[in-house]
Amino acid sequence: MPSSASTSSLTTLVNALVPSARTDSRLRGDLLEDCQEILESHIGQNREADIGHLGGLIKKQLLQSSNSTTALRFSNLLSRLLEEPLLSRKHAVLLFLHSIAFSEPSSGIPVFLPSITSAQPHAAPQSNVEPRRPLTPITNGNQRPEHQSQSKADMLRAYRLKIGRPQLPENLVLRDALYILQGISGKYVHFVAEGDTAASHNGANTSTSSLSTTDRRVVFVEDGKLTIGVPTRSLIHKLSELGHLYARVVAFVQSKEGKSSVGMIEQSLCHHLQTQLTEYYRLIAVLESQMYMSSDDEDVKEESGLTLRRLEVWIDEWRLRMRMMSVCVEGCKDSHGGALVSLIHTYTDNGDPFVRRFTDALLEEVSTPFFMTLQRWLFSGELHDPFLEFFVALNPGLADVQYVARGLGMGTVLGFGEGDIEDGDASGRKEESGLRLWEEKYRFRKEMLPSFVGETFGRKIFSTGKSLNFIRYSCHDSDWVVTQNRLGNTGRKLVYSDIGGLERSIDSAYQIASQRLFDVFFDKFKLLDHLRALKSYLMLRQGDFADQLLETIGPSLNRPANTLYRHNLTATLESAVRNSNAQYDPPDVLRRLDARMLEYSHGEIGWDVFTLEYKVDAPIDTVLDPVSMEKYLRLFNHLWKMRRVDAALGHGWVRITKGTRMFARVPELEASWHQVRIVMAEMIHFMRQLQAYCHLEVIECSWKSLLEFIEKKEGDLDGLIEAHNSYLDRMVKKVLLLSPKTGKEENILTQVREVFNIILQFREATDNLYNHSLAEAGRRDNLRDKDRGIFETPLDEDAARNANPSESLPRILRRIKDYSLAFSDRALAIVVALNSHPDLDCKFLGVRLSFSDFYRAKKEQLQLQHAQNQK
Amino acid sequence: MPREIVTIQLGQCGNQIGSVFWQRLCAEHGIDEQGILQENANEGGDRKDVFFYQADDEHYIPRAVLIDLEPRVINNIRSSAYAKLYNPENIFMSKDGGGAGNNWAMGYAAGERTYEEVMEIIDREAEGSDSLEGFMMMHSIGGGTGSGLGSFLLERLNDKFPKKLIQTYSVFPNVQGGSEVIVQPYNSLLAIKRLVNHADSVVVLDNNALTRITADSKQNEGAHDLKNQLVATVMAASTQTLRYPGYMNNDLVGIIASLIPTPRCHFLMTSYTPFTTDQIEKVKSIRKTTVLDVMRRLLQPKNRMVSTVPSKTACYISILNIIQGDVDPTDVHQSLLRIRERQLATFIPWGPASIQVALTRRSPYVASSHRVSGLMLANHTSVASIFRRTLDQYDRLRTRKAFLDGYKKEKMFANGLEEFDDARGVVEELLNEYKACESPDYISYGTGEGEPAG
Repeated sequence: MPSSASTSSLTTLVNALVPSARTDSRLRGDLLEDCQEILESHIGQNREADIGHLGGLIKKQLLQSSNSTTALRFSNLLSRLLEEPLLSRKHAVLLFLHSIAFSEPSSGIPVFLPSITSAQPHAAPQSNVEPRRPLTPITNGNQRPEHQSQSKADMLRAYRLKIGRPQLPENLVLRDALYILQGISGKYVHFVAEGDTAASHNGANTSTSSLSTTDRRVVFVEDGKLTIGVPTRSLIHKLSELGHLYARVVAFVQSKEGKSSVGMIEQSLCHHLQTQLTEYYRLIAVLESQMYMSSDDEDVKEESGLTLRRLEVWIDEWRLRMRMMSVCVEGCKDSHGGALVSLIHTYTDNGDPFVRRFTDALLEEVSTPFFMTLQRWLFSGELHDPFLEFFVALNPGLADVQYVARGLGMGTVLGFGEGDIEDGDASGRKEESGLRLWEEKYRFRKEMLPSFVGETFGRKIFSTGKSLNFIRYSCHDSDWVVTQNRLGNTGRKLVYSDIGGLERSIDSAYQIASQRLFDVFFDKFKLLDHLRALKSYLMLRQGDFADQLLETIGPSLNRPANTLYRHNLTATLESAVRNSNAQYDPPDVLRRLDARMLEYSHGEIGWDVFTLEYKVDAPIDTVLDPVSMEKYLRLFNHLWKMRRVDAALGHGWVRITKGTRMFARVPELEASWHQVRIVMAEMIHFMRQLQAYCHLEVIECSWKSLLEFIEKKEGDLDGLIEAHNSYLDRMVKKVLLLSPKTGKEENILTQVREVFNIILQFREATDNLYNHSLAEAGRRDNLRDKDRGIFETPLDEDAARNANPSESLPRILRRIKDYSLAFSDRALAIVVALNSHPDLDCKFLGVRLSFSDFYRAKKEQLQLQHAQNQK
Repeated sequence: MPREIVTIQLGQCGNQIGSVFWQRLCAEHGIDEQGILQENANEGGDRKDVFFYQADDEHYIPRAVLIDLEPRVINNIRSSAYAKLYNPENIFMSKDGGGAGNNWAMGYAAGERTYEEVMEIIDREAEGSDSLEGFMMMHSIGGGTGSGLGSFLLERLNDKFPKKLIQTYSVFPNVQGGSEVIVQPYNSLLAIKRLVNHADSVVVLDNNALTRITADSKQNEGAHDLKNQLVATVMAASTQTLRYPGYMNNDLVGIIASLIPTPRCHFLMTSYTPFTTDQIEKVKSIRKTTVLDVMRRLLQPKNRMVSTVPSKTACYISILNIIQGDVDPTDVHQSLLRIRERQLATFIPWGPASIQVALTRRSPYVASSHRVSGLMLANHTSVASIFRRTLDQYDRLRTRKAFLDGYKKEKMFANGLEEFDDARGVVEELLNEYKACESPDYISYGTGEGEPAG
């Protein structure tokens, strides 16, 4: 609203400039109005090239029309544009881009049906051009009276008429062309399937030309009187491509119609194609009516009537569209489901905005079933994919397998494996280990993953659904899944156009599912308790239990393996539990603990075959799978041996320490005992350091990193399995001092085992020496008593029996010396080998063993001696 | 079938230490003054049955034998809040109540007189255990009862239980500042002979060092209590692995077998850091308690509970660090490397030796202001200097033939003072052996000369 002040000043201006207006109020009013219009229209106003304003405007529009990332990206691009030194008219560039970007949608996506009438208003400029086009005269059957002179085309036509080869009137061809567009043969132009070309050759003057490599051809039928001109032919050929494509698409759609085996994605593709075809029919119908109109009314025809060329223009857009549809149809032959979606998706990157738009629209529809399946999988862990189109596939062999919850309640107390767990195994129910179910029940099919999802997200989706499914069926927690689904899924609908939202949904679903799976494993199934139990029992963390077991079961393990009975072992195990702090562990943990014998061969003794075992069932065995348990047993075996040797040394130490005063009565053996003690001290040191290394550097450090992983609660079950595996592998590798060198993996382990044997033999030899000393001391006491005239006490029976008469003292001493030397050599060799071990922790064991550089000095001394000997 | 340990507390000093030790054990296991498990004490993980057993009414009774020849200290215990904790049948007091008059010989003779009664108590305790591992004796060696009666008991325990381990926590007397017992060197020497020959492991608690360590305390009046606290803390820590089982060191053998390679060199030194008591928040200002700091401080001579004469040749025969608290295993690894790098400890040349580390849980019922605390049990050759000190004092006294009358009254010395000479010989021999330990030739130690019979 112009203010009154401006109106009055305008009046003054008008009056001054146009004198007549002073009297003529109407004229003045008009002029005033004009002036105001001019003022308000900003004409001539040099709009300041305010890039910032324009940029802001675009950003706002972007924010409204799409998401924030695009806007962000725009700002980024804009700032880069502004920095560009080469461009001088940046504002203009931006303005231009802005207008193309935002004006286009406002004019609307090109109407599929070209509006015939809308051409009219533009007639003014076009009318100048059209008459100049040569096509009008050519296509016209009759010459128009307005034309002053004959055109060359008219002359040609006249000539043709004269020579008796008149051309077919265009309207006839046009009708056929419309047929052709629908894949139907017309009167003059036949659409012939390749197979029956011969049949359609009716002797007439036919000229055929094949359409690329397809199975249809266009056959022109010239009845001798009328010919079809070459230009027309080529036009027809061009048109016929559309007809051909149409026919193919229709055939495809029809072939899929009503069939039960057609996948959901193909069905929706067909649906989309069908919609497109309907559009197409409408166009044809309009064109047809135009054709009839044009044949009725010459005037109209001149302006807007249908000609072949116009037809060509009208359907041009459809050609591309048909091609796209045909490509989809083609793709449908080889690919299926998700792969088909991927295939279509590749066209969204096409430079042609039309193609892009078309595929976007197509994808929106075609991907709907995919998203439906996705939604169910992602939020409820159920795979509903009757046509195997999804990128997750069910392993048919495991489809029906279910866990049967086996007494996971707390009812059973101290079963020690005699009861329920084995029964479950034995009953022959179709059960699979949790790991196998987890790993193999569903398969990820990369080829079926729509490319717009991306593999990382695909994996996440896969894992999420798998987790949910696992929670539901393997962990029997479907209530949670259902609730979660209901809670989390409200108002969320996954569609193609909202990829950003999709990614967010996937992320949150993944988070929730894996978090829950962790919770289920740790809260419901007490995974941590089991891991701890494995550490306590199989890795001897529960030291009092291990000592107890060793003490009670040790004597019987010295016997041949085939004289051992399992019930004795389990009874001993039970008493070891009752007599140690193990008794405070949850019953569910204790009932899984079992003692048994491994397969034994002839000549093996109990020590070789005894093992503790920890039984796990589903779904815990997903993490603690049989392969892992095997490794645990291997660790136990080694640690148990260490413990045995250590205990043997401990007993030996007590024996010779408590025997000190008795030995003093046999002074000539004092020096030997001193030697024994020195060697035994070295052995104890070796065993102690070895064990401390295993416990501290290996087990506890590995445990710590496992706990760190668990506490983070990140990642899914796969991550957990992997973390556990690396925990276990690390321990196996380091406890057994395995070397990465192939063929030499167990070199050090073998030496360590030899050392164990040497120590045990040494221990035996010292026992013999002990018995010998005891017998000798007794004998001397007796002698002394006799000398003093005291009544002779009978010889200590124990000592007499223990003193092995077959083994003479020098023999005993020699054996002790041999074992001492053998041990020292091995220990030195092990330290040397460890010092060059590629694993840092193993290397550190070398440091531990030679903490005071004792072995280094010893090695140097040996080398020195060696050198001297060589001289 | 736990590896039970029966404690025997002897004399004034032994009973004082013992009573603080038991208070501490009770606190660590959540057992109240009556021996009843507190309601909140259900965290598990500890083994109470090593040191306690349960009576019919479920309350916990210490496997403790309390012996004294004079009633004062035991009566104090009996009138304390913990009176009901002990089994009254395990308390032995001499009928006459006269004590041993700070005379080893009197204590020893009293042992012979009371043998039946005392041994009956000990027998009962031993039989009450499923799998007795050994005895733990607490006493001082400067006085009469702990020293004399203790010596007697050591001999007899060895005969009676030849396969059980005997560990003593022996308080070695003050030297400076003129102690109240003039004949301390006699008593010590005679007791040391028994410690050498009849004990399997002796934790040496040097009163000098205890005084030094607790001297920084601002509350002087509590100095004595503080020393007892310190000793009790050390004892509790050194039995921590027995009471909170871990991978290793879950029995006494496990601990001492690796510490004591040869039977006579079984005198262990201890260090404890950081030392706190329930009375005083911090005796020493310790700013940081990382594993490395703890382990480094444990190696410092000033923290040792034995005052030794510095020697360049002195070395560690073995070390066991018991680290309590919330410890990251990787820290231990790093600390060991660091200590080795900086050569903070010298070891024997005749065999491999290293710092053993046992990580153990801390009692959940006793609050500690430190994240990590540690005890070192070490077999170090410099412990010999305390024997050298005793010998010197003894020699000074002996050459003057001073104060021998009290001894001559008793049977053992009625016919002469050979026992003194014999004991002196044993200690001298011990000194030699510790000296020999510092040389690589220790491997062939004792091959030349015959060993004196025990």
